[in-house]
Amino acid sequence: MMYVLIFLQWICVLALAPLTVGIVRKMKAHYQNREGASILLPYWTILSLMRKEMTITRHSSWVFRVVPFVVLATAVCLALLVPSIAYGILPHAASNIFLIGAIAALGSVFLVLGGMDTSSTFGHMGSSREMTLAALVEPAFYLVLSTLGLLAGVWSLDGIVGYFAMSPWSAVVPVASITLLALLAVILAENARYPVDNPATHLELTMVHEAMILEYSGPYLAMLEYAAAIKLTVMLVLFMNLVLPFGLLHPAFGLALIPVALMVFVAKLTLGGLLVATIESTIVKMRFYRMQEYMSVAAIGALIGFILVLIGHTL
Amino acid sequence: MDIRSLLSDIGLTSATGEAAVLVPVASFADMAHQCVAAGAPLVFMYATDERAAHKTYGVHAVFSVAVSGFLTLKCDVSAEDRTYPSLTRTIMAAHWYERLMHDQFGIVAQGHPDWRRLIHHENIPEGTYPLRKDFAVDTQLAHAQVPYPMHAVEGTGIYEIPVGPIHAGIIEPGHFRFNVRGERILSLEGKLFFTHKGIEKLVEGKLPAQALPFIERISGDMPVAHTLAFAEAVERACRTVVPKRARALRVVWSELERITMHIFDIGNIAGNGTGFTFMAAQGFRMVEELRRLHDSLTGHRFLRGAITLGGAHDISAEAVMDILNSLKKTEKDLQAILDIAFASDGLMERFETTGVLSREAAIDYGARGVAARASGVGIDMRRDHPYAGYADLGVLVATESSGDVAARFKVRAREVAESLRIIRSCLEKLPEGEAQTAVVVREGEALGWAESWRGAIIDWVRLDEGGRIDRCAISDPSFMNWALFGEIGPGNIVPDFPLCNKSLNLSYSGTDL
Repeated sequence: MMYVLIFLQWICVLALAPLTVGIVRKMKAHYQNREGASILLPYWTILSLMRKEMTITRHSSWVFRVVPFVVLATAVCLALLVPSIAYGILPHAASNIFLIGAIAALGSVFLVLGGMDTSSTFGHMGSSREMTLAALVEPAFYLVLSTLGLLAGVWSLDGIVGYFAMSPWSAVVPVASITLLALLAVILAENARYPVDNPATHLELTMVHEAMILEYSGPYLAMLEYAAAIKLTVMLVLFMNLVLPFGLLHPAFGLALIPVALMVFVAKLTLGGLLVATIESTIVKMRFYRMQEYMSVAAIGALIGFILVLIGHTL
Repeated sequence: MDIRSLLSDIGLTSATGEAAVLVPVASFADMAHQCVAAGAPLVFMYATDERAAHKTYGVHAVFSVAVSGFLTLKCDVSAEDRTYPSLTRTIMAAHWYERLMHDQFGIVAQGHPDWRRLIHHENIPEGTYPLRKDFAVDTQLAHAQVPYPMHAVEGTGIYEIPVGPIHAGIIEPGHFRFNVRGERILSLEGKLFFTHKGIEKLVEGKLPAQALPFIERISGDMPVAHTLAFAEAVERACRTVVPKRARALRVVWSELERITMHIFDIGNIAGNGTGFTFMAAQGFRMVEELRRLHDSLTGHRFLRGAITLGGAHDISAEAVMDILNSLKKTEKDLQAILDIAFASDGLMERFETTGVLSREAAIDYGARGVAARASGVGIDMRRDHPYAGYADLGVLVATESSGDVAARFKVRAREVAESLRIIRSCLEKLPEGEAQTAVVVREGEALGWAESWRGAIIDWVRLDEGGRIDRCAISDPSFMNWALFGEIGPGNIVPDFPLCNKSLNLSYSGTDL
């Protein structure tokens, strides 16, 4: 039973990840009074990239070839370990927040290495920026996760989502609201979205994530694009599961509720996509040298949330 | 200021200034400096090959004497020696022109502080001077490897970023070399001239009417301004008087081009430059509507064919109503998106203090158009040297003082408003009669000019006895403004460069005739 749910959750995230990207793009197009491409386009992009030949520069090493596999593997692990459809199914040790943070960081580090391996200008620029951002994002990221862990009294994401799902909404979400806002800021930064990075830009000089993968083509590019889609999906669903912890499955409920849980999952993805599209359509990308301010706000938000929870515990 | 008093100031009491004033080679630089010091900026330099007649090359320097006209100083450089003292030593605005004249004619400006090649890249052999009369237009050049050094900064932690000439997106080719420390730009230099078409050479020996299509294609987004400057030069050389209706229509076409491209830039700067996609989507939609209007009026979306020699494309009374109705909608929509743009703190934060061009640099480099006006230099050919039908329109020149991207954005927004007023005022009292007169070609030479949406265009045309073009020198605003990046870039961070670039929106093709 438990393994069925784990497998179902994993497959759903992997299958629907490109859809999330399609939904965000479609909604952004609507904000611009455009029709926009089909929400299924990211699937076609990945499939057509898989069939294309790869152009790999002579000046690259084995690192360049390993990166897509590592990055995709970390994303697939995240899809397995982050609760998206059900809770109470993963061992606490596997869903540990520090483990998940480290897996995400591993993917980032390899992306950075891939960007640097070809010695191309833009790759280096992107990698340098990514490391700068990572140094700014990680404190906020761990503070947010720790606060949630402290609040739930458990150090696994599965347990945290379970705590949110089992408690009355008004008792937990308002308390954690500052932390959740900080989490949103972190998610936007981690996934190279506004106001940190622009996933739709063609201007190499402004890129972060796109600059690192600029030298990749064909199946490797497909793997990296797919990994990015999975990461975005996982994090968005996690955020939605904390803000709206409804409709989640638990082994005790039995299998009958699976269709409902799936519909809720898709609805949360759509809502998350709408949220990202709204943010990206209404705000301007920030100046790169103001990122520390943005991330400081996130970190301080997380810290305030942390202190609030500590005070709550002592009372 | 008046040209005669300027001439007497610099010691040339006998000259009238109507034709080019011939001065000795030795005092050329000094007199040019005196003109600039007296408040008549150097706007244009060109050379001529007069070896057949006098065994000399002519080097011309054109000064803008607002509002009475242009003064041209000329010196004859001997064909053997080919040197004259550089003007750049005291006049920064001459720096690219002198390098250009060397690449075109092999004339050496002695004492030029940055004596490198300009339009010739590595692959052009030494001693190739294509605008000399004895250089055949179909010459096959050998592939050479001549050094083309670029500025470099050395030191710990300094990196060089080469960008282009091939870029993402649909833009023209151009290479940029950044020297950075972290993200901070220390120096920035462009290597352009990848789009050489040889237009100045190609039009030689052609009748003006045959040359017009070449001029129209110098830069795809400013055909009206380029053809207008050329047509005015030819008409002045041939002493043709253009009918009043054509003069008014020329204003209408010029201003339609300006409105369209300014709205494009407003959308492009705010939308693609900062990622505020809403502005790009709406701006480009409005541009498309205007392009369809152009198509319905002239049969060409980019207004090719709007300016003819001796006239302008004529329109019917219904077309007048079409223009007015379209512009009413454009004005309303533009106001709506500008309100949103100015209300966005994030957008204004990106614009302000980004890419600052100081007033001093704008004057020294001879910056043109929006770049100059946004830095507090109130120059505009439409007011300073009225042409076509601008004389009695009282053009208001929009200036800002901060010189940053925000200033250039605001200048564009204000200029659209002024252009709308000008078009309405022209269409209200559009003179009756013909919009075309015949241009009878004859020997002569003259300057022609126009304020394009990018800035001033100045053409100098000389027609031979048969009325064919002997020499046509063209000064495009992009040529003057590209060098500004050396001033604008440093101090900014690399991710802000595309925004600075879009705020100037220069033409690669227009720079490289």
